[in-house]
Order: sequence, then C-alpha cells, then structure tokens
Amino acid sequence: MFGLSRSNQSRAQFEALLSPWLDPLYASALRLTRNERNAEDLVQDTVMRAWRFFDKFQKGTNFRAWIFKILTNTFINSYRRNTRERSLQDESERQSVEASFFSADLTEQTQNPEDFLLQRVMSEDVLKAIDSLSIDFRMVVILADLQEFSYKEIAEILDVPVGTVMSRLFRGRKQLQKLLIAREEEVPNAAATIDLNAFRERKKLA
Amino acid sequence: MNCRDLETQLTPYLDGELIDEARLDFEAHLASCDTCPKHVEIERHNLSVIRAAAKAQSPAAPPAFKAKLFEHIRADDERRRRVRFGQMAAMAAGVTLAVTAGHQLYRGHQRSLYEQDAAMRHARQFPLEIEQSPQAIERWFGGKLDYRVRVPGFPNARATGGRLLQVRDKAAAYIRYDTDRAAPRQMGLFVYGDDHDVDVGAEPAMASSHGYNVVSWREGDVVYQLVTDLDEQDIRELVPANAGAESAPPQPTLNVRPASLQQ
Repeated sequence: MFGLSRSNQSRAQFEALLSPWLDPLYASALRLTRNERNAEDLVQDTVMRAWRFFDKFQKGTNFRAWIFKILTNTFINSYRRNTRERSLQDESERQSVEASFFSADLTEQTQNPEDFLLQRVMSEDVLKAIDSLSIDFRMVVILADLQEFSYKEIAEILDVPVGTVMSRLFRGRKQLQKLLIAREEEVPNAAATIDLNAFRERKKLA
Repeated sequence: MNCRDLETQLTPYLDGELIDEARLDFEAHLASCDTCPKHVEIERHNLSVIRAAAKAQSPAAPPAFKAKLFEHIRADDERRRRVRFGQMAAMAAGVTLAVTAGHQLYRGHQRSLYEQDAAMRHARQFPLEIEQSPQAIERWFGGKLDYRVRVPGFPNARATGGRLLQVRDKAAAYIRYDTDRAAPRQMGLFVYGDDHDVDVGAEPAMASSHGYNVVSWREGDVVYQLVTDLDEQDIRELVPANAGAESAPPQPTLNVRPASLQQ
C-alpha cells in the first residue's frame, strides 16, 4: 500500500478534474433543488461522494459524465423522497410505447399552433418554467440544454435508454414552450413579473 | 418520410443527434415540404432562446462555498491518512519498512553524496537491460556483481526490470519498480556492495535529493538505496497487505522492524 489512491497526488488529480465542473454542477443543482442552500448541500454531497469513490473512477474516461451521474443519483436518492412530486413513471410512462408520446403531443400541437418565442424572453421566466417541470423532464432538460450532454451521455447518467432520453426531452421542451408562450401572451410586457406558480395553478384548474 | 415522421425525429435533429441516412431522409423531406420548414425553424429558434436564457441565468458557485468544499476534501484526505497510519501501527508485527526521519537523516556528508548520485541516475531513466519477472531479474544479476543481488518485494509494487549502473564508485544493481496503481509511479532501487564506506545502518533512513526521496539501509555489506518521488507519508505507508504475495523469495531484506519494536 503506497497509499497512492489518497496521496497528495491523488487529491490534486481529483481537484484538477473537479474544478472546471463546480460551476456547472452548482447551476444544475440549483435547477434540481430550486434553492441555493439545497443546491450547495447537493453539490457538497456529490463532491464528497465522488471523492470517496475516486479510486473507482477510470482515468481517461468521462469525468464530467461520471460526476453528473453522481449528482443526479444523489439528488434522486436523498432529495426526491422529500418532495411530493409525482414521478413521470407513475404519470405517463405507463404508456410504454414511445410513439404514443409523440402522437399525443402531435395532436396537441395541431390544436395549438405554435409561435416564435420572443427573443427577449426573460431568463428568469425560462428558469421558472424549467423549475416547474416534473423531475424526469427537468433532469433531461438540464442535462441536454443547460449542460449540453449528448443523448448517449444522458442515457448513461440517468440509466435509461436513449429512446427514453429523447421522448422525455421532446415532452419536456414542449411543456417549456407552452409555458413560455402562455406567459408571453399573458404579460406582453416581459419586465412585469407574475407568479408562475399561480399561473400554473390556474392552468391546472382550467 | 412524412410530416408526422419528421416530428418524431425533430428533437434529435435539432440536437445534432440524427446521423447518416436518418438525417438525409429528414432533410429530403424538409426540402420538399411546404409546412415543415417553418415548423422546424420555429422549433430551432425557440430551443436556442431557451438554451441561451437558461445559460445566461446560471450563477457560478459562490467562492466561499468552493473554498469550503476543497477544505472538506483536504480534511477528509488527512483524516483517512491518519486512520491508515493507525491501522499500520496496529499491524506492527507486519511492518516491513520503517523509515526513521529526523535527526538521523543528515548524518554524514559521504552518504548524501551517494544519495545524490543515486537520485540523479534514477532520474535519467537509463534503458533497462532486462525486463522480466522479479525472479528472472534476480537470476540475470547472478554472477554479474561480487555479491548476491536479491530483488526485494514491496507491497503494491512490482519489479519490472533491471540493469547494471554505478553509484559513484560502486558497481550497482539497479532495479526498477512500478507501483500498480491507477497513477503508476516508478521507483528505482540501487543495490551495491560496500564495506562501510557509506554511513548507512540497518535502520532505513530517508533523505531527499534532486526532488526525490532516497531511503537507504544496509544488510551486512550490501547497501540498498530506494529512489522514489513518493512523499514521506507514502513511503511510511509501505505496509504489506499480504506480505510476499507476489514475489515470495526476496522478502528478508526489507523485514526491518521499526526501532520501537526492536528490544
């Protein structure tokens, strides 16, 4: 035992691999947990877990995907049970055939002609809209649109088939657009703020 | 491909995940369709707006938080080292290489000259003359020097090769070891006959030279000098998990017990 796995060398390697991804991890954690304090906790849990399992990390493989997998697993394990969100699995993955995802949304789409989002759509609104997605949709949107992971990487991070990544992304983005377009229609002056949650409640009731 | 097919492929298309024929089919339909191009354009636009907005609003992790994280890692690292060191002490009977640092280190100018020379020669990475198993290396040295060269076994390191070299005026066997870790490190062991010209005792002693740590000890008229870029802590952790598992014969040279155990 040269203790190399925990030598200064190994710690330096870990820190060097980790450093570039701390901000992206934090930004993603913020979208997952929706508040700064929980985001910090999540990132800290993730990083300490990654550090403990660093000898399991295969050098030369995709560290970013590896640590994001730890992030999402940590989030799912320790945070999801505290939330009362319904899982997509309960909700609509009963429809196991992916095609049905698409056809369902296609129908909706023809009913609601789509529109260009305003270029000046507020970042804040986009974030709120992302935050309002169910967890499964939110995770793929964060990984694909915020972190720009490939489908294959996302499939590995979330341990789901690539087809599932694709259909979740399709539906997640559709919901986002719908929320944002509705928001633009409701408040033409994007600088004015409204409570998106209140908006969603109204939508649900409708 | 019809418009409906296109819709099912739109997400991967916009993400650049549609390749080869699927992409060609998609674009062929796009070129021939009246309505789809507008739809694709809207989708592409909206996606880029959403992406840009989400990114623009992504805050960096607070610096104080980052500092705290690195501090946690450091503290955890040190705690583990202490734990392992404690475990090592608990296995006292099995402790093979005890390194006594401190006042004993810099006794004698003569010895430091040998240490320097060994470190420099190790650093130059001379080509090896034999690269085989420890036993084969041992055999290869047989008869080449006027004392028997044994290849000591170190836990978690393998002797990978050897050659003849000198350390100052002494003809020496040079044995190279690779640590079998994710980040392999090389160590070089010099073995040379010495009739007490060099101030090295049976107790391993450590010094540093040219950026390397050099551990020296003696077995009768044979001096061993181990040159490595492992730090002192790591050298202390040369604990046999299962002593002699790999290269059975050569153990004895390193079975030097720590001073605290020698009564």
